[in-house]
Amino acid sequence: MEYISNQLINGICQGSIYALMAIGYSVVVGITGMVTFTHGEVMMLGAFAAYYTFLWAGNNLLLGIFAAFAASWLVGMAVYKVCYEHFFDAPRHISLICTVGFSMLIKNLAQIIFGANRMPMLNIIDNRVYQIGPVSINLLQIVILAVVIVLATVLSLFLNKTKGGIVLRAISQEKTAAYMVGINVRSTAMVGNCIGCGIGGVAGMLMAIYYQTCYATMGGTMSMKAFSSSVLGGMTDVRLSAVGGLCIGVIENLGITFSSANFRDAFAFCFLILVLIIRPQGFAVKKGARP
Amino acid sequence: MLKIENLKVNYGYIQALEDISFQVKEKEIVTLIGSNGAGKSTTLMAISGLVDKTGGKITFDGQDITHMRPERIVHLGIAHVPEGRRIFPSLTVYENLLTGTMGNRKLTKQRQKELLEEQYELFPRLRERLNQVGGSLSGGEQQMLAVARGLMMDPKMIMLDEPSLGLAPIVVEEIFNMIVRIRDMGKTVLLIEQNASMALAIADRGYVLVNGNVHLSGSSKELLSNEEVKKAYLGA
Repeated sequence: MEYISNQLINGICQGSIYALMAIGYSVVVGITGMVTFTHGEVMMLGAFAAYYTFLWAGNNLLLGIFAAFAASWLVGMAVYKVCYEHFFDAPRHISLICTVGFSMLIKNLAQIIFGANRMPMLNIIDNRVYQIGPVSINLLQIVILAVVIVLATVLSLFLNKTKGGIVLRAISQEKTAAYMVGINVRSTAMVGNCIGCGIGGVAGMLMAIYYQTCYATMGGTMSMKAFSSSVLGGMTDVRLSAVGGLCIGVIENLGITFSSANFRDAFAFCFLILVLIIRPQGFAVKKGARP
Repeated sequence: MLKIENLKVNYGYIQALEDISFQVKEKEIVTLIGSNGAGKSTTLMAISGLVDKTGGKITFDGQDITHMRPERIVHLGIAHVPEGRRIFPSLTVYENLLTGTMGNRKLTKQRQKELLEEQYELFPRLRERLNQVGGSLSGGEQQMLAVARGLMMDPKMIMLDEPSLGLAPIVVEEIFNMIVRIRDMGKTVLLIEQNASMALAIADRGYVLVNGNVHLSGSSKELLSNEEVKKAYLGA
């Protein structure tokens, strides 16, 4: 029983990282209106930025978060310039293929620059374990949960309460109308894309800290998890994507409790397939639209 | 105020606008009428910079806006209320109105509040629905919201694309009354309508578009009594 409850905590913690990835993913997809396959690499670069920051500046989590966010923001700008800017009026698959190619480029460049080995992430958080009743939770997990919750709250406040957020949501819903009310759609879309990427970068950093390793090809699985979580949430819905991420994390960890850790990804994707068979639109309910 | 000379627009190899020239003077209601595919909406899209032009010149307040970016054109004070409303479906009515203020950078907080009050007065229905998402409104309410959103930037000129499309006759009447009130507030109105008799009834001047050309022009009275217009657009 204790094992299961600990795995549950594990799952929630990992799920919350997936949730953060998926939030970033949905923001990108929602605002640019185009699917991205560069997200994994963006997250990987966020992790590396944090890795080097920790090497140089020591155990400073906030600085790490900032570095990951900023690095991914910059990559997001590059992605936007290369893959989206020219293709707003083109069919969607063109930018999609472009993001696939760009992700390969980044991945291979990263292998050249950072090396192809796994780097041990510095242990920046004390390995302290707290026992609460039947569950034990360590400090790292608490920190990760806190970071995710704080970031998600800040993002949600920004999107819902500020004028900038309203504008971002506006362009995600109706680009033509956004032009007509005088919004600079292109530059706003870029900022939106960068925010999504920045959040992804922080998620990548958390993932690297959680597994205490970071390597150039870590983006692959992460982007699949982010994509699946996002699909569960209906692609563009930030909140439901977060729920999707949490579900995948918990299912994965409960699944491997009863079998072997090798089946981790199998559980995640089987769950995705099952949900999509029953509810092709994911968790999303179309709100506010007239049939 | 707005002057369009020899405007040409192509969609691929289809010529949507062959040669359009017309003028809108300050504080008047000008209407463009014509059948489907005559190029009415394309003309508005061209003014807003949403389609590429192959030729011609558009000036607004003496400034050449032919090749300006869409948001810059809006910032000059031209509000475009698109065909089919195109409100933001998942934003609340209030948020929809707030996006309207993006088009005018000089708005102060105070002025913004005044403008909001103006809209509530013009469209009392919107005040009741303030926290409802835009997509859940009825067609007429959505149209009102779209117009109110356009007015939120305090424009010099507002362009309305088929505001009566798909609305019940009684709502259409309401919308047309409102257009007259907008003009009385000191705004210039460029109105596109298929409902030619209604449009000409409130407009000062009108232009009849046929196949991407200006076929007829004149004051509304002249057009209303023109035999050709009567036959083709007024169903008489």
